[in-house]
Parts: sequence; structure tokens; C-alpha cells
Amino acid sequence: MPPSRFPIPQGTLDMLVLQVLSLEAAHGYAIAQRLQQISRATVRINQGSLYPALHRLEQKRWLKAEWRQSETGREAKFYALTRAGHQQLAREKASWDQLTTAVRLIFNEGA
Amino acid sequence: MTKLLNLFRRRRDRLERDLDRELRYHVERRVEDMIADGLSEPEARRRASLELGGVPQVQEAVRDTWIWRWLDVFVRDVRYALRSLTKSWGFTVGAGAVLALAIGATVAIFSVVNTVLLRPLAYPDADRIASVETLWTNTGRASQAVSGPDFLDWQARNDVFEKMAVYYSGDTGGTDDAPVILGDRATFANPRYVSADFFAVFGQTVSAGRLLTESDGQRGEAAPAAAVARYQWAVTNFGSAEAAIGKKITLNGGPLEIVGVAAPGFRYPGVTDLWAPLTPDGGPNHRSNHDYHAVGKLKAGADLVRAQAQMRTIGDALARQYPQNRVKTVSLIPLQERLTGNLQPTLWALMGAVGVVWLIGCANIANLLLARAAGRTREIALRAALGAGSGRVMRQLLTENCVLAGVAGLAGLLLAWMLIQVVVAWAPADLPRIDEVRMDPTVALFALGLSLVSTVIFGLVPALHASRLDLSDGLKQSGSKATASKASTRLRSAMVVAEVALSVILLAAAGLLLRSFLTLQHVDLGFTTDRVLVAFTEHPLKDRIRFFADVLDRLRAVPGVHAASGVAYLGMGREPRPPRDYFIQGRPEGQPGERPQAEFHDITGDYFKTLDIPVLAGRDFARTDTPESPRVAIINEALARTAFAGESSVGQRIRENPRAPWMEIVGVVGDTRWQDPSQPAPPVVFRASTQGTGNSLSILARTSVDPTSLASTLRTFLYEANPTVPVKFETMEEMFDSTLAYPRFRTQVIGLFAGVAALLAAVGIFSVLAYLVGQRTRELAVRRALGASAANVVGLIMGPGLRLVAGGLVLGLAGALASARLLSGLLYEITPWDVSAYIGTIAVLGSVALLATLVPAIRAATIAPVIVLQQE
Repeated sequence: MPPSRFPIPQGTLDMLVLQVLSLEAAHGYAIAQRLQQISRATVRINQGSLYPALHRLEQKRWLKAEWRQSETGREAKFYALTRAGHQQLAREKASWDQLTTAVRLIFNEGA
Repeated sequence: MTKLLNLFRRRRDRLERDLDRELRYHVERRVEDMIADGLSEPEARRRASLELGGVPQVQEAVRDTWIWRWLDVFVRDVRYALRSLTKSWGFTVGAGAVLALAIGATVAIFSVVNTVLLRPLAYPDADRIASVETLWTNTGRASQAVSGPDFLDWQARNDVFEKMAVYYSGDTGGTDDAPVILGDRATFANPRYVSADFFAVFGQTVSAGRLLTESDGQRGEAAPAAAVARYQWAVTNFGSAEAAIGKKITLNGGPLEIVGVAAPGFRYPGVTDLWAPLTPDGGPNHRSNHDYHAVGKLKAGADLVRAQAQMRTIGDALARQYPQNRVKTVSLIPLQERLTGNLQPTLWALMGAVGVVWLIGCANIANLLLARAAGRTREIALRAALGAGSGRVMRQLLTENCVLAGVAGLAGLLLAWMLIQVVVAWAPADLPRIDEVRMDPTVALFALGLSLVSTVIFGLVPALHASRLDLSDGLKQSGSKATASKASTRLRSAMVVAEVALSVILLAAAGLLLRSFLTLQHVDLGFTTDRVLVAFTEHPLKDRIRFFADVLDRLRAVPGVHAASGVAYLGMGREPRPPRDYFIQGRPEGQPGERPQAEFHDITGDYFKTLDIPVLAGRDFARTDTPESPRVAIINEALARTAFAGESSVGQRIRENPRAPWMEIVGVVGDTRWQDPSQPAPPVVFRASTQGTGNSLSILARTSVDPTSLASTLRTFLYEANPTVPVKFETMEEMFDSTLAYPRFRTQVIGLFAGVAALLAAVGIFSVLAYLVGQRTRELAVRRALGASAANVVGLIMGPGLRLVAGGLVLGLAGALASARLLSGLLYEITPWDVSAYIGTIAVLGSVALLATLVPAIRAATIAPVIVLQQE
């Protein structure tokens, strides 16, 4: 395990999950794999915290879930974004952009 | 309820199952992938689980999100409920106050009834303790008074009682106090003479020393008899239970040694301070002397019916065996029933009253909630249209009503606590166990639960309504208020009618009791209670006549003393003197049990003058009536009428038993109601205590000044004449007041509840009409704009209101007349159909109702048409 990987910042897991699911519906394992790939192993995601996040998002009505056949032919719980979920993702992206821009500005100022 | 719980349980099970499947799927896929990468299966499994941080831990973390979600919704519901309740604070305060009143009154009264009537007596196996009584077969009445020989026969012949005992409640054993000398102090105590098994019947043990034994009762005059003291009395007088043991005291002039102290709390009968030994007198001549009260503890498993049957057989056999027993046998009554029997009418009347208040309260709540529901149809339709599921709406309304019921319930319990203090303060001092009354937790929970249920049921009506509601219909209704359906209006009107009717019943009952109480208070007692000081004293037999003669002479010489005299028995709510047979010279003696009876009282001269009792014929007792002079008696009018109808009684001779000396009747006096002002005077024979008859005396003095100002002077006279004579004072006025304690208590409490009921009914009427005005604001504004006068509008609102009141009045009066017979036992000298009580009821309710209709009507009349119509 390379030491360069840093733990995911508090609160960003939800945003990442929404982002992953904005492309297509997926089950928990697929989401975990996808997150792993996208982050190119630079972000350490505790897989155990993925499921509480999924349930939390489902209760907030940002995700909807249904049992469907997976690629292996077994039944799996697939999550998909709701309309509220898409809106939420857009909001989070915007505020994230604002934050990073602001931080970068401050860093450049100081340089 | 279980259905709802099941629903919750099934939902939770499904969630758990899904979570389990989801996580299993994850682990299986991960394991497969890692096996494909070349790991062994056990190793793959270990790693997969490790990556997740443990499957159970993940499950726990997911479950947490569910709970947070639930809490979040709950908090939001409560916040919304509070907001919506404070927004319509008129409704909230009204409904809350009504609920709190209903709960408070119910809990308070039920706590009292529960303590006094229902809770078992605080003795071991109290349900097996019975009062064993004499049943007079000629009158069908049971009397607690039993004779010694009868008791001994009952005891010897039965096999149903484990233990039986008698106690003597003679002249010094009732609620009257007896003098006790403790070392150098003279004081009063309440003694009872009890037979050896008395404590065993009540399952009592001592807290120090020992209990009484058979041999205590058989000790001679010379050796001091043993006594057991009440725990609190011993502590008060000697510092502790142990310190009381071995103390020598003088009771009624006889020596006693305290050998034991009873367990804390034991004080039967009444509040007994000292239990002294007694051996029941079984002498054959005493079969007609009913000097004892008897109690027994049934054997375990012996039921009362069987015991009753056996005792009856024994009593019937005695009736055949002895001529004195010809008209009597035995009866058993559970002790609890004996102690509370005469209170039952009063307490059940209170329960009935509080039940009616509760019903009115419920009707009122239902009414208020229905009115609110009608006003909220649009709000709920809006919420439903915005996507709230009917479950969600239901849940939110449920929370709102629970919050309301909860807050009101707590207020109600606080009110109950205060009401209990009021009722206890009002209650007659001798109401048994009144000092034990506490708020009953079971009752409190029950009332809270009931309020919750009733609120929830009526609170959910709008939610149920909403689920059937056509959304666009609810939204389309113009303005801010939707109109109520015909059916709900009719329901609410019916409830107002019911409320008015119920409060009329209660008001009528209160009116009858009040009338009865006032009649009783002003009844002609036949003597005056005004400015009479009573000094309770007790002097031993030796030198008694001289002692009282001296003290009375000194007292009469005091300026401001109008008259002074002595009397052995004062009546006034104290335990009644049992009447005795009397015999008149020259008339046949008659059969035992069928002889005429009279009360015998011992007095000094000037007694009639002191109490302002008229001497109708002959003379008062005089100084010349001494132990050496011929015996004399004075009789009252009742006896003169029954015994000497038509002929002159003065000069006739009378006596109380065939061996006593004849007494010549020297005077006739007016009747007096000593014992109970509601009872007519019994026949009475007065004897001259200066001739050496009867017990020690109490001193009466009528003054032209405040009678209590005389107390210290009299105390000095008594002390100078004999320092060991105890004394305590009361005024005749106070004593008379205490005889009215029960009627006053009933009247006060039921009056209070009737007031509450009328208030609640007024709230009901007001809320319906105020709602009506709110509904019709627009219509009324149009009418005003088109020229209707303010008076027209007032009539428009008051008309329907007064119609409801009239309907309720008619129904209520019918109900009151039908139920008034239940009260007849509590009424004195007025019939349950007393017209003035009903007129009073109509007047009170009518004026309250008028006010309740007038206020919303005036509000309607002051509507400014322009403003209302502009709003639309």
C-alpha cells in the first residue's frame, strides 16, 4: 500500500458516490471498484463506510434503489440517482469548485 | 395497536434482510475476484472482510443511519407541531385547559376514593377481617354492639374464625378522650379496652415490649393492669418506644403499666392511644347489655358466605335457647365495608360528578379538534398535493396531538396534585385514611393514557378525511377557510347539546345539595350554640359532686357568665349513646327486645338555662337534689309524647332497669338535636348528676362576651380545685360545625365540579359559535354591506347557539329529574324535585350560555364589511 494515499476528506464521499452514479446505476461492489479506479489509488476509501453512505443518501431521497440481476446473473441492489440527487450533485460540484478556486487564489496570493 | 406494531416489525425485518443480502453480495464478488487473482479462498475471505472493516460493524453503521433518519423526522414533526400549536394558541390553550381540568379532577377524586374505599386496609390478610355484629331480626338492622355472653357463645361454637376479639367502646372508649396522668402531667388519651386476641386478629406485632395476654385481663384491682401504647403516642410522650416500656400511668383513675408499644401506624379502632386489657363479661345477666364491638379473622380459605351461614345458625340456636336473644342473631360484615359503609354515598356521588366532568371534557376536546380539523382541510390538502404521503400526514398530525395531550396531561397532573390538597383540606377530619391520600400512579397513568387516546382519535379525523379527499377540491375551496361538511357540523352540535345536558345534571345535583345543606345549617336544634364554651374535663368518682359544684359556683360568679352547668355527654357528632329500656311505675314491664327505649343523660341544674332549652312543665334540677334526697328525673318532649300521650308526666315515676330506684319526673323540657342535626330528637331521660349518677362531667358556660376569653379563668379554677384534672376547650359553635362536616364536604366538592362543568359547557358553546362566525365572516360582511343591521347579525349567530342551549337544557333537566332520586339519601328535608334548585340551575346555566353566545355574536356584529371584502 503506497504511503502517498491520503484518507478521503470528511463529507466528500457522498459527493463522489453521487458522481459515480450520475453516469449509470450500479450496485455497491461496482461503486467501490469504480471509486478505486477513478481515484487511481490516490485516495484511501474505507469500503466499510460506503454502505452507510449509500443508505444515508437513499433516505435523503437522492438515490433510489432496486433489486436487479447483475452481470454475474445474481440479484444485487442497484442504486441510481433521483432527480433530487442530480440537483444535489450539481450543487455540490458548484460549491466544491468555489472552494478549490478560493483556496488556489489564496495559495497564489501568498506565493 | 398490535397491528401497527406488527407493521413496524415487518418493515424493520425487510430492511435487515435487504442489508444482509446486499453486504453478502459485496463480499462474494470480492472473494471471487481475489480468487481469480490467485488467492486461496480462506485468505480471500479474510481480506474481503478486513477491507470492509467487519460485516457486523458495517451493519451497525447502516442501522445508525436509519435511527438518525427517524429521529430527524421526529424532531421535525415535534417542531412543526409546536409551531402549528402556537400559531393557533387560542385552540391550544382552550383544548389544553379542558384536558388538564378533566384529567386533574378525575385523578384527584379517584385518588381519594381509591384510598378511602378501594385500597385494602393496611393489615396482613385484611380481606379476612370481619366485623361480627348483632343482627336484630325485628328491625332487620345490624348493630356493631354485641353482648359479652353472645360473643363468648359465638366464639365457642364456630369453626370458621381463626381468632376473635372484642373491644369495649363504652362511655370513655369512643372518640371521647379519657384523662391520663403521666407522672406529674394530666392529659387526654384515647384508650380502648380490648380482649387478648385483639392484636392477633389484626396480625400485629410490637415495636417494643410485648402484646397483651389472657392473664393481663384477669389481674386484680390492686396490681396495675398492663397496657399497650400507640407507637406515635409513646414517642411523643416518652421520647421512644423503648422508653415507654415500664412506665406507670393512671387511666380513668386506675393504675396501668405500659408493657408494649404497637407497631408504627397501628391505631385501630379510630385513633387509639392505649390498649388496656379486657375480659369479656359472660355473666348470664349481661345478655342484653350490648357493650362490646367484635372483630374476627376468618381462617385462610374460609369464605365469607360460608362463615356467614354458620354464624347465622349459631345465632339462631341462641335465639331459641335464651329469651333475651329472641329477636337477635349474628351478622358478618367485612371490616373495610363497616369502616367505609356510611361514606359510600358521599364518595360515589363525587365519583359520579367527576365522571360527568370527564365526559364533558372529552366532548369538548372532540369538539375543539373537529372544529380545527375543518379549518385545516386546505392545509392538509396542500401538503398532500406537494407529495406528502397519507402516512406522513397522519404521522405529523399524530405527533401534534401527542404533544398537545402530553403537555395538557402534565398540567392535569399538576392540577390533580393541587386539587388533592384542596379536597383533603375540605374533607371531614374523621374521614378514614384521608391522611393517606396520595396521587395514585395507576390512576394518573390511566387518565394520561385516556387523554392521549381521545385526543389522538379525534385528532386523526382530519388525516383520515384527507386520505379520502379529492385534492383539487380541497385546494379549490375559496379563501383561507374551507367549509365544514354538514355531517361534522351536526356532530359538533350534538356534542354541545350533550355537554349542556350533562352540566345541567351536575348543576342540579349541586343545587339540591346546597339547598339541603342550607336547610340543615338553619335547622332548629332546640338549643343555642351561640357563645357557649365547652370544657372537657374528667374527675374521678371520689369527691366528684363537690368538685363540680365548687367550680360551677365560682364560674357563675365571674362577670360576663350568663349561666354555667355540667353535662356528662355532649352529643354533637360524638359516638351516640346507646338507648336503654325504660320502665314506668304502674305499667307492665313488657318483653325484652320490645320495650320502649330512651337515652339517659346526666346533667347539673342550670343546664337548660345554659343552652336556652325551654322548661315546658315542672322545674329544673336544684341544689336540694342530693344523693340523700328522693331520686328525680326530667324528660324531654319526645318522651313525654311517646310515653305519656295525653296525660301529665310530671309526678310519674320512671327507671332504667327493674332493679334501679324509681325516679320522680319533676319536669319536661323541649326537644334537642344533639347527635346529628338531620335526625329528630330521640326520647331522653335526664338524671341529676348531683345525686351521684353517671360519669364525670364536661362544663358548659354561656357568656355575654367571646366564650374563649373565659378559658384561662376556668382553667385556673379547675387547677385550684384539683391539679390532676385535665381540661381542653372547644366552643359549641365549633362542635356544631363539625357535625355538618360531611354535608359541607359533599356540597363544596360537587359544587366545584358543577362550576367546572358549566365552564366547560360554556367553552363548548363558545368554540362552536366562534368557529361559525369565522366560517361565515364573508357572508356576514356581504349581509352588512347589503344593509343588515348589527342586531340582525347578532340574532343570526345567537339563534343557533341558543337553540343548542335550549335543547341541552331540556334534555339535562329530564336527566336531572331521572337521576335525582340517587341523591335522595344525601338530602335533608328537601325532595329531589325541589323547584328552587332547578330554577337556580336554569339561571346559572342560562346566564353562562348567554354570555358564551353573546361574545362571538358581538364579534360578528363588529365585522367591518369593507376590510373583509377587500381581503378576498
